Amino acid sequence: MEINKNKPPRLFLKFFRWFCHPELRNSIEGDLMELHSERARGMGKRTADMKFIFDVLLLFRPGIIKSVKQINTLNQSDMFANYIKIAFRILVRNKGYSFINISGLAIGMAAAMLILLWVQNEISYESFHPKADRIYKMYSRDENNGRIDVWGNTPALMAPELKQSYAEVEDAVRHRIVYFLVKVGHDHFNEMGAFADPGFLSVFGFKLLKGKTDALSNDFGAVLSKKLAIKLFGTIECLGKTVMVNDTDNFTVTGVLDDLPLNTEFEFEYLLPWNYVTRLGWDRGQTWAYTNAATYVLLKEASSPGAFDSKMTGIVKNHIKEGDGSTREVLAHPLTKTHLYSKAENGKLTGGKIETVRLFSVIAGLIILIACINFMNLSTARSEKRAREVGVRKIVGAYKSSLITQFISESILLVTIAFVVALALVQLSLGLFTQIVGAPLHIQFTNAQFWLYAIGLIIFTGLLAGSYPAFYLSSSRPIKVLKGTYKKINALVTPRKVLVVAQFTFAIVLSICAIMVQRQIQFAQDRDSGYNKSNIAYNFMQGEIPTHYDLIKNELLARGAAVSVTRTYSPITRIWNTINELTWQGSGESDRKTNFLLYGADADMTKTFGMRVKLGRDIDIKTFPTDTAAVILNEAAVDIMRLKDPIGEIIKDSNGTSWHVVGVVKDFIIESPYERISPMIINGWRDRYGVVNFRLNPANDQVKNLAETEKVFKKYNPEYPFEYFFAEEYYNRKFGNEKQTGTLASLFAGLTIVISCLGLFGLAAYMAESRTKEVGVRKVLGASTTTIATLLSKDFLKLVIISILVASPLAWLVVSNWLKSFNYRAPISVWIFVESGLVAIIIALLTVSAQAVKAAAANPVVSLKSE
Amino acid sequence: MKKYQLGEFEEVVLLTVGVLYDEAYGVSIKKEIETRLTRNVSVGALQTALKRLEDKGYLKSREGEATEERAGRPKKYFQITALGKRAMEYTKDTRDELWSAIPNMALNPKFVEE
Repeated sequence: MEINKNKPPRLFLKFFRWFCHPELRNSIEGDLMELHSERARGMGKRTADMKFIFDVLLLFRPGIIKSVKQINTLNQSDMFANYIKIAFRILVRNKGYSFINISGLAIGMAAAMLILLWVQNEISYESFHPKADRIYKMYSRDENNGRIDVWGNTPALMAPELKQSYAEVEDAVRHRIVYFLVKVGHDHFNEMGAFADPGFLSVFGFKLLKGKTDALSNDFGAVLSKKLAIKLFGTIECLGKTVMVNDTDNFTVTGVLDDLPLNTEFEFEYLLPWNYVTRLGWDRGQTWAYTNAATYVLLKEASSPGAFDSKMTGIVKNHIKEGDGSTREVLAHPLTKTHLYSKAENGKLTGGKIETVRLFSVIAGLIILIACINFMNLSTARSEKRAREVGVRKIVGAYKSSLITQFISESILLVTIAFVVALALVQLSLGLFTQIVGAPLHIQFTNAQFWLYAIGLIIFTGLLAGSYPAFYLSSSRPIKVLKGTYKKINALVTPRKVLVVAQFTFAIVLSICAIMVQRQIQFAQDRDSGYNKSNIAYNFMQGEIPTHYDLIKNELLARGAAVSVTRTYSPITRIWNTINELTWQGSGESDRKTNFLLYGADADMTKTFGMRVKLGRDIDIKTFPTDTAAVILNEAAVDIMRLKDPIGEIIKDSNGTSWHVVGVVKDFIIESPYERISPMIINGWRDRYGVVNFRLNPANDQVKNLAETEKVFKKYNPEYPFEYFFAEEYYNRKFGNEKQTGTLASLFAGLTIVISCLGLFGLAAYMAESRTKEVGVRKVLGASTTTIATLLSKDFLKLVIISILVASPLAWLVVSNWLKSFNYRAPISVWIFVESGLVAIIIALLTVSAQAVKAAAANPVVSLKSE
Repeated sequence: MKKYQLGEFEEVVLLTVGVLYDEAYGVSIKKEIETRLTRNVSVGALQTALKRLEDKGYLKSREGEATEERAGRPKKYFQITALGKRAMEYTKDTRDELWSAIPNMALNPKFVEE
């Protein structure tokens, strides 16, 4: 009662306690209490309270108020020093566990860093143009064979109209790839270049080393890349010098560009003014239906791309009344998205490389997670060892929060060490990885942003790995721990089991996917291509080759360099043309929409390529002059045209030209080996041939064959360099993307298995260690080594089996989803799941049993004496 | 540039601590100043001054007994340090010096009036 009466206002006392500097708090509070009780006695409680409040408020001034910062940094830095010291001691004391922890984290981080480097490279495409956010690439969209196609070429007539009739367009430029001979004196090279509109260099941000952005407004001016300039002139100081292009036309160098950066989709060594197209006569008969130029639009600042897109979408079809192109729409796609979003789904550019980027980003995250799980498992399993330290710290006065800080800073320290190791690993493996992904990646050590990301990664990983152990360890009860009743016999408590299962599930899913990708590639590679790919070489018709084709062919055969020669429109691995609006006897209205691949060949096509003729014969214009109007069909075409007796059938195209069928060839793969074979029409127009194909003589040495071939071409076409390509090589490139995915999936599957096993090994080692005494007692009581080894491995085996059960349906979902993108796909066999499951069990058993057997074989006398 | 930093109120507090000798703690100092100088002293002003003096090294403190009246909080007793003593002496000396330097005229109001 007496004490109660003397109590000052609680609220203000609390307030005082809250703000007051802790060093002063006690004595001042004492003074206040003393004054209060004295005043209460003298002047009554109310006055005393008022004075108390007054005093408290007057105490709220600098010097009395605690300064949070000052106190905390003082204490904390000392504590951190202590945490780090302890962490180092523990690291050094448990070398084995430290090694497992650090190497697991390092491998995981290295893998994630490689992936992130790649992702960063992919995202950076085209972002270097200063106006990139206002540049849009125009795409055509139309329906073909019931499918909506979207492609990046548009009519050459479109750019001028866009610039003229649309207010929001600042500039519209065209770009068209071309392959010309470039010549200075006697140095000549076949180089890839492009025609471009005068505004091209000011719309895009390619770096000009010499000349100005108007370099292309000169009708006879050419812009060279630094590489080509050095190749031709030996220097970039070549403004005003003359280059001969296409063996006929002279151009003055008006600009030199720095070599194109690696994160652009553009590919050219020189730029020629657009109106050279007109001078060459290549735009004769140009219509709105031809899509042969890439069009880029620079929108004015503050204009709405959405409104522009919907306004101009009909620009092409408005010019075409009927037939091809009358339903064609145009869409504007942001330039920075052209690399990642290049595949159309339902007529919208939403897919493409971005899918791989997303997939691998997820994998990067999961790999880090797996590495962190190792850390969590090992640190919680070993919590018993740390529990005593935690107990002592708590009794000395550590808060739970400071213990959490301790463990998290410990894990961040460990992650930092792992990061350094990971950097070394990345640096070592970067060369190999660069080869696999085909993009030049490097760590930008001097880039501040890189270090920012690095610190982000360290903190993220440190928190991810350290948070669970921190909460787990800091919550132990000090009294229990110090009394020694804390011991847990089984190292595998439930959360840890879940984590191991999660780890293995992911590793198994990834390995099943990797196997399936390999199978799919193998399946497509094993597919009958319909022709014999080996020994086929080709080169492009250039210069004098078309005129001297017959002579070249005869001489190649006479010299024995080739066993057969034919000419075609395009290489056997590529198709450049399609045709629709065809009619034939018995064809209906819907057949007009059917798209046929259009290929062109001459005599000896089937012989040169080793194709199987089903009916009839090759086209042979020399022997049968009417063969300029002859066609060969493939089986798919015969099927779709429903022809019973195809030979002699007449096919008419939209121009009214009639073609007669002279042969049927067995289906062969010219497009994607994953797709169904499309119907194809092969004809033979004299002036359209672009490629000479020759089957090299298998009886001779390849090098000798090629040397002979070169002599022949040099003889008839001396102005051009002899360049040849192998069909087989280009056929194999069709698998490039999937092979890359396959290699990466296998690589990361392997890594996750390694990391998971590292963790399992650590857990097993720990469990064997903590059960030494139990094993000793069992052995003394007569248990055999095998029984004990089984006992110790059994728990782990169970976990792996659960992971297999969880992983299989998951993997099935992922894999079948991936396979959906292929028309020609390998069946998903149960054996893949069984195989990878068995492999997982075997690897896990090998990892665990070494420890188990070691523990089981130990002499019980030693283990029981070891108190 | 002063050798010893000592404000007016600080000086009063320092002197009072000296007066109280062994009994100088918050409440007693406050009361002593209030009775001797008849001026009101808030706990806040006093504590700030005490802390500043302690930070300057003119005062040192020790924890004393905790009474029931103080709700179990210990008293904080202050004592003048050697440095504190020197500071006091220095202040006094400078004052004395100044006093002695004032010419007689200046202090004679009659002269001023004329």
